[in-house]
Amino acid sequence: MAAFLRPSSLRVAARALHTHPVSPSNPASALSLIASHPSQYVVASVAGRKYLLAPRDLLTVPRLNDVKVGDVLALSDIHEVGSREFTLRGNPTIPPDAVKVEATVVEHTKGAMEVIFKKKRRKGYQKTIKHKQTYTRLRIGPIEPVEPPHQS
Amino acid sequence: MASATKAATRPLLRASLSSSPANGHVAFIPQVRKVVIEYCDSWASSANTRTFVHNHLENVARANPHVEFVVKQRTHKEPIARGFYLNNRDKVVPLHGFEVNGIANKIQLILDSSGAKIKPLKRRTVESTTESARGIWSGLHVDEPFKI
Repeated sequence: MAAFLRPSSLRVAARALHTHPVSPSNPASALSLIASHPSQYVVASVAGRKYLLAPRDLLTVPRLNDVKVGDVLALSDIHEVGSREFTLRGNPTIPPDAVKVEATVVEHTKGAMEVIFKKKRRKGYQKTIKHKQTYTRLRIGPIEPVEPPHQS
Repeated sequence: MASATKAATRPLLRASLSSSPANGHVAFIPQVRKVVIEYCDSWASSANTRTFVHNHLENVARANPHVEFVVKQRTHKEPIARGFYLNNRDKVVPLHGFEVNGIANKIQLILDSSGAKIKPLKRRTVESTTESARGIWSGLHVDEPFKI
């Protein structure tokens, strides 16, 4: 009896979850749809690599030498902004006059000590290298859709 | 006897009302609060530290107004710099064997750090406390239920 009922209940659940597909007309209305959800994410390139970021994330990248602790950086290459049900994809990036995401430099650190041991056997060659990689940690700020200027 | 009706709202658990720290999200608070430079007045190993304190320390202190700089005597010992952070940890850096610009780099290392313990960061790219915006994939909530 239970096996007879189960497949139909699953199908009902699948149907109830699908909303009608929505395709907004312009990026501003798409962004307002995305902003209406409780949480958003952003796919952005930082230091040459793509990351999936949310607000309040701590991002670790290789050391950025031109930047001081406490500086605020604006992410320039945002490929995708999305929420639970809607996504806005850029071609290849979304222009900065549509979405703004800032990252604050929290610290410049070094990683744990790595010991690299090199040896060539029977040649009397061996050496130990101790190395600490340098990193910069960034805190991602809120994802802000930029409001289009009002035409008077 | 009518049975008690179930509450329409979910109970608000007080643990869910606490916030997790995110320094730098909207406001950034520098984590270093005090730097103490200890050196010997007589020994030659502290000579470069003495030069740094006499010539450069004032400029560094002026550039970092949120940090308290303290100069302390450490007689007949090697020179060190101690950094104190807001997480109650401290970083002790020996200044022995460095030139004046090397000592400046070590002071800058203390000022740049957050006081957190040094841990391997190669694989820790994104550290997040928020759940994913799109949720976790479920094999039952797709057009065709996923068959293992």
